[in-house]
Amino acid sequence: MEILKQRPSRHPWEVLTFALLLLLSSVTLLTTLGVILSLLGDVVEFFRRVPLREFLFAPEWTPLFANPRYGIAPLLAGTFLVTAIALLVAIPLGLSLAIYISEYLTPEKRSRILGILELFGGIPTVVFGYFALLFVTPLLQRVIPGLSLFNPLSAGLVMGFAILPYVSNVAADAMQSVPRAMREAAYALGARPYEVALKVVFPAAISGIIAAIILATSRAIGETMIVAIAAGQRPALTLDPRETIATMTSYIVQAATGDQPVGSTPYYALFAVGFTLFVLTLLLNILAQWIVERYRERYE
Amino acid sequence: MNRTHTPNAFGVDPWKARIDRVFARALVLPLLLALGLLALLLGDTLYRSFSVQVVRADEGPGRTYPFGLSAQEILRQDLLARGYTEEEVAFALEDPKERQVLFLQNRVELMWNTQDGPFRYVVTGVYDERVADFSLAEGLRRWNELKANLQEGERLVLNPWLDQTFLTRPPSRSPLTAGIGVAIWGTVWVLSLALLIAIPVGIGTAILLEEYLREGRLSRILEVNLRNLAGVPSIVYGLLGLALFVRSMGIGPTILAASMTLGLLGIPVIVVTAREALRAVPESLRLAAFALGATRRQVVFRVVVPAALPGMVTGVILSAARLIGEAAPLLLVGAAAYVPFLPSSPLSQYTVIPVQIYLWISQNQPEFARVAAAGILVMLLLLSVLYLLALYLRNRFRREW
Repeated sequence: MEILKQRPSRHPWEVLTFALLLLLSSVTLLTTLGVILSLLGDVVEFFRRVPLREFLFAPEWTPLFANPRYGIAPLLAGTFLVTAIALLVAIPLGLSLAIYISEYLTPEKRSRILGILELFGGIPTVVFGYFALLFVTPLLQRVIPGLSLFNPLSAGLVMGFAILPYVSNVAADAMQSVPRAMREAAYALGARPYEVALKVVFPAAISGIIAAIILATSRAIGETMIVAIAAGQRPALTLDPRETIATMTSYIVQAATGDQPVGSTPYYALFAVGFTLFVLTLLLNILAQWIVERYRERYE
Repeated sequence: MNRTHTPNAFGVDPWKARIDRVFARALVLPLLLALGLLALLLGDTLYRSFSVQVVRADEGPGRTYPFGLSAQEILRQDLLARGYTEEEVAFALEDPKERQVLFLQNRVELMWNTQDGPFRYVVTGVYDERVADFSLAEGLRRWNELKANLQEGERLVLNPWLDQTFLTRPPSRSPLTAGIGVAIWGTVWVLSLALLIAIPVGIGTAILLEEYLREGRLSRILEVNLRNLAGVPSIVYGLLGLALFVRSMGIGPTILAASMTLGLLGIPVIVVTAREALRAVPESLRLAAFALGATRRQVVFRVVVPAALPGMVTGVILSAARLIGEAAPLLLVGAAAYVPFLPSSPLSQYTVIPVQIYLWISQNQPEFARVAAAGILVMLLLLSVLYLLALYLRNRFRREW
């Protein structure tokens, strides 16, 4: 009831409560500020030492070598590779799952299966990493010759399942919000259920579906433990899914678990990589929100 | 004309009906695939948490002890068998310090099978050496052969890596004596302090957004900000914790720094679930309270929040379950340390369950994979308990308005 929120009370207790709630919620704003400032300070220091050109265009990332190079490209390539493999798994599976959940299930079954998928998303990613390294990789090594012990292929495949709930649940939500009248109109014209799902609901929900995919991409880019465990920690500028690589996240883990003296360039490099990761995922999230907002009114 | 292509009396094209059936069935596949993977993951982890081992005792004959003896009695007998005198053993077991060290260095554990028969105790020392480690299938197949080839001082055991002693022991350089006790306590510490931060902030923000703020600039800023925070990768929170809490504020790699980091990470999730709970409270309740002359504070805190409480508690439990599994941000704020002692204060060094598992996975010795499997089982058990609790609360206190 918006109208009941119109007039703030002047009573001291009311004002105090309101102030307290404002104070508490300001923590969320301070967190964002903290993330940006704490990263930015060290990033500025990093770029004082390493030219931007080197960061963007150098073909190697070897901060700990005697002759250090600070090219972000290998880490971006690694991230891209793992994310692409994960999406190749998650998009087809997730979208068909979403159609199934949204169009083919009764409401009770729907909530049950959404619950199971949520549980799936609640499994700690360390567990997925363990599974990728000790189960999937040996299995794949029998089929694919030349697959190294740490490889983006098995990490990506398993990550595809880890981000599956993000795709399926968000996309199913989008499909659910397609008005019933559209489905009924299609049925009245003689469409079969699969035609309704594919030719009416899917196109009508496409903005939400794209948003779901973008959000899952952002998850995959930021996912850390699976890649740190199963994809390796050796930056390489390659798109060959059989070779050991490093992603931005796995580099951060590697650098953080080793001892970086504070104030050394590798220490600041950690934040430069983190900042790149932050900006990339933030842009993707904003893009997803923009797409949702932009096309939301269509059916209201 | 081919009959199968002719629509029947109701205008149903049989081909389309067939496509329809196939489509509906094919759609079940992804679900089955996902569930299959889940089953495979659990089964594989469970399978890996058992192994058949040949272990050479560092000193003594590598005896086994019958079921029913106390741990102290077993350790006493084993020390005697290693050649210590009665007085030495009696002294060591009575002095509390000595006793503690003794139990840290020697793990009295129940094996499911041994060369002397099923369900017998063995004493595993830190310096005991693994001779061979087999998977369950191979080990059981070759059991008799292995038993026949046992050397002096060696023992053959079917080791369930996840046992009672595993839950209480500190980490160790030897996989044979490693435990997850310190990590469990670390998780308890970090999680409770993190929730102490995340619950008031999360629920306060949710109340502000749902009950106080009109649609306006402030609510819009808060909402957009929260949505973006929810999308920030958890490892970036780790960097924040490293730069701000560990370094700038000088807290160091301690439980406090970890719980502040994890607390911030938990806020967006709690806000979302708490808002859902508040939104589920019907408007008529608020109107009725206002009509009775209640102030907004009274409406919110005596009517709406109590009504939404079960939903909020469920949400908090679910976010706690999420936070328990977070390893990445804590790796950056000190959880990767080797901590042999239980944490005693917010400024202690610590490690948590998922990080401990990660550290075990990244060890070279193959047995650490078994220790990690046992650790994963512990974590998944803990999470299932939390999920079941959330489910129970949700169903028990669900109200139809």
